[in-house]
Amino acid sequence: MTALLTLNNVSKSFTRGGILSRHRIEAVKNVSFTLENNRPEIFAIIGESGSGKTTLARMILGMQEVSGGSLTLEGNRVGGRTRKERLAFMAKVQPIFQNPFEAFNPLKKIDYYLLLTAMRFGGAVDVAEAEAAADVALRQVGLSLSEIRGRFPHEMSGGQLQRVAIARALVSKPRLIIADEPVSMVDASLRMAIVNLFGELRDKLGLSIIYITHDLATAYYIADRLIIMQKGEVVEAGAAREVLSDPQHPYSRQLRDAVLSPQVTGSLSIQ
Amino acid sequence: MTTQPILRVDHLKAHFRSSYFGVYREVPAVDDISFDVAPNEIFGLAGESSSGKTTLMKTIAGLIAPPLELIGGKAQFSFMPPETNLYGADPAQLARIRWSKLSYIMQGSMNVLNPLRQIRSIFRDFAAVHIGGSNSDFETKTVNHLSRLRLDPSVLDAYPHELSGGMRQRVTIALATICRPDFIIADEPTTALDVIVQKEVLGMIRSIQREMGSSVLFVTHDMGVHAALTDKLGIMYAGCLVEAGRTADIFNAPQHPYTRHLIHSLPRIGDTVQRTGLTGTPPNLANPPSGCRFHPRCPLASDICRTERPMMRQIATEHRVACHAVAGDDA
Amino acid sequence: MKRIIFDLLKYNNEFRIGVFLILIVVTMAGLSFFSPYPPNDVFVVPPDAPPSADYWLGTTSRGQDVFWQLSIAIRNTLAFGLLVALLSRVISIVVGLSSGYLGGWVDRVLMAINDTFIVIPLFPILILFYFVLRDSMSTILLALIMSSLGWAYDSRLIRSVAMSLKTREFTGTSVFSGMTIFEILRREHLPYVLPIIFSTTLNNMNWSIGLEVTLAVLGFMDINTPTIGGMIYWANQHTAIVAGIWWWVTFPVITVVATFVGLYLIAVSINEYIDPRSRLSRMGGGQS
Repeated sequence: MTALLTLNNVSKSFTRGGILSRHRIEAVKNVSFTLENNRPEIFAIIGESGSGKTTLARMILGMQEVSGGSLTLEGNRVGGRTRKERLAFMAKVQPIFQNPFEAFNPLKKIDYYLLLTAMRFGGAVDVAEAEAAADVALRQVGLSLSEIRGRFPHEMSGGQLQRVAIARALVSKPRLIIADEPVSMVDASLRMAIVNLFGELRDKLGLSIIYITHDLATAYYIADRLIIMQKGEVVEAGAAREVLSDPQHPYSRQLRDAVLSPQVTGSLSIQ
Repeated sequence: MTTQPILRVDHLKAHFRSSYFGVYREVPAVDDISFDVAPNEIFGLAGESSSGKTTLMKTIAGLIAPPLELIGGKAQFSFMPPETNLYGADPAQLARIRWSKLSYIMQGSMNVLNPLRQIRSIFRDFAAVHIGGSNSDFETKTVNHLSRLRLDPSVLDAYPHELSGGMRQRVTIALATICRPDFIIADEPTTALDVIVQKEVLGMIRSIQREMGSSVLFVTHDMGVHAALTDKLGIMYAGCLVEAGRTADIFNAPQHPYTRHLIHSLPRIGDTVQRTGLTGTPPNLANPPSGCRFHPRCPLASDICRTERPMMRQIATEHRVACHAVAGDDA
Repeated sequence: MKRIIFDLLKYNNEFRIGVFLILIVVTMAGLSFFSPYPPNDVFVVPPDAPPSADYWLGTTSRGQDVFWQLSIAIRNTLAFGLLVALLSRVISIVVGLSSGYLGGWVDRVLMAINDTFIVIPLFPILILFYFVLRDSMSTILLALIMSSLGWAYDSRLIRSVAMSLKTREFTGTSVFSGMTIFEILRREHLPYVLPIIFSTTLNNMNWSIGLEVTLAVLGFMDINTPTIGGMIYWANQHTAIVAGIWWWVTFPVITVVATFVGLYLIAVSINEYIDPRSRLSRMGGGQS
């Protein structure tokens, strides 16, 4: 049983300061987990700001060097050294970023990115093939190329843009998607469409998704497994619903109790 | 209403008007809004991006500058002379009521706290003129007040960047409440904070409000915060108020299709019910849909919804809805 | 692009005046191709004649028609300014974008070189070059030297824009869409840098023309290429003001001042158009 993504005691530290006074910041400490190849799942990484979750995501994407431990994708180091290795890696792992309005260059039309991804990774050799591949990916998220063609980012809503970003990530037919707070900047009414979409991608396309968030409610709703991070360390891990229903670690408990549910139960949860 | 409301908003209209290089644009960001806020009450304003809630808050606070223009209606506080808006009021009067009767808690604490001044000096800048007394008296009062927010007196010596985000926001709240104002306008004060800190800060807002009997206009898109904190709630969509009433009523029995959908679409821990998002996209306020602005996305839309904009109707005690289908006037 | 220019012409006073001034100057420069007298010939017309119907701007003590001499001079001066501006833009874009995006040791090395160029005192260096090169110092060579000295300030500006662009999420999207670094810099980041480039080009032109005029007036220039500074130099040599030949000095000065003011006004008005905050303040609002 080969593993898709393996993290083994992964650490990341930064040194700050000048020549005379330096101090180390341990952003990520000894994180280990494995995603299996033939078991698509949504794996949530939960943490507040400063927990190291974004640094971890960047390391998995190969955008940041690992300070300690090993991070491998299907046995190979993530990122790759040569351009060819990098392209092969990026074909398998794609990101979704937090701010849908920043995900695309505001000065450019968004179909440009889809077509480019199709040509660089999708094996499309000309514009016609690229457009076909882009259309397929867009339909998987509930849109189509004719709707998107020629539009600029400011003409669309956050929910639509995020779906286009997901479609772009799907063009190269990746095995793993890293979604860093993908719905926190999307309106509440459009949020569930995207969260449900993640579930569909897992079920229909066999994709694994690492879902990074601070929102426990959506993690409870959609994730299969999760880890909770505090100050760079994993404090609790396990099946999503089990952990969130009955957290063991004091920090996880605190986190769970702080969640404000959108319902009025009679006894105020505040005061 | 038996007691006089501390804020009365009456058919308030404020549009963005711009004429730049020959292109004229009018965006009805606040379109005929009416509601009251009673004393000693937390009134929440909910809505998503481009719902107009922030513009409404600014209009009420009198922060109207081009391209935003007040078109009609009024927003009156009971501590102002009758029939005067904050906007266009006499500057001397404004200086008297600002901070002592009306204060603000803004989203970014760094928008309020001058990074170059110590917290102590900031407090003095804001409040000394209203509280008066000698320096040491003022200091004692400040320290007492800070302890309500569980802030150590050493905070006064610090500079804003030396404090964490949560502490800064608590300082901002202390600043806004030290003069015991009658009305506090809070704009997404906890949105940028971690969940655990948010709960603490909201608790402090609540306890200070109770203690001082102030009213709070709390603007946020987070429905969980509204459910936990507010007494009354107003839901905004595309510049219009679509539903308003007691928070408990709105959450337990939402009437407007938008409110219903919004509340039901949010997942909760412990609940595995399948949830769905709203179809369609929020409207472009520069070119809003005709009639009811929600009709393109509404499952209950009928002909009248496309042509006539629904007005707010009272359907239960303190519960109003602006909807043709619900208010029963489809005959 | 055309629409922007038409809009600015319609609504912006500064732009209109700037364009008007520059058009006059450029027309004069263009007329130089129809000059009846070869540029370097002297005593082709009666010297020291005041402005009249025959000689529109008068003649110099060296027997040249001021109008035609001026037209050639302003052409050369403008061409000089343009050349310096363009060459130094190229250097500052390449250095600024690479340094900002790549970071690390590339950034440190490039910025060390950059800062060295910033602190070099221009004027003494240019004079030094002149003394070393003497007669082989042509205007073109001067242009090359100045453009290799004038890129440093702006490349730091571009570098800071590039650094902020690097952290924006669409750069990540571009990377994962398969773009090479070069493509990212050229297609994604360059458009953000262009407004700076444009306004600094015009500033750079003003700077280089000013420096050239200064050098020429002092005599450090190529005698064979007539420029505005050259005209003023010769006027000084012949003590024109004292002798009462005011037209020899006045008209070149007016022309070069018109050039400066015109370029400045255009730069300022286009900048204002591009910057959204100034748009807002024009409309009377924009506190934030």
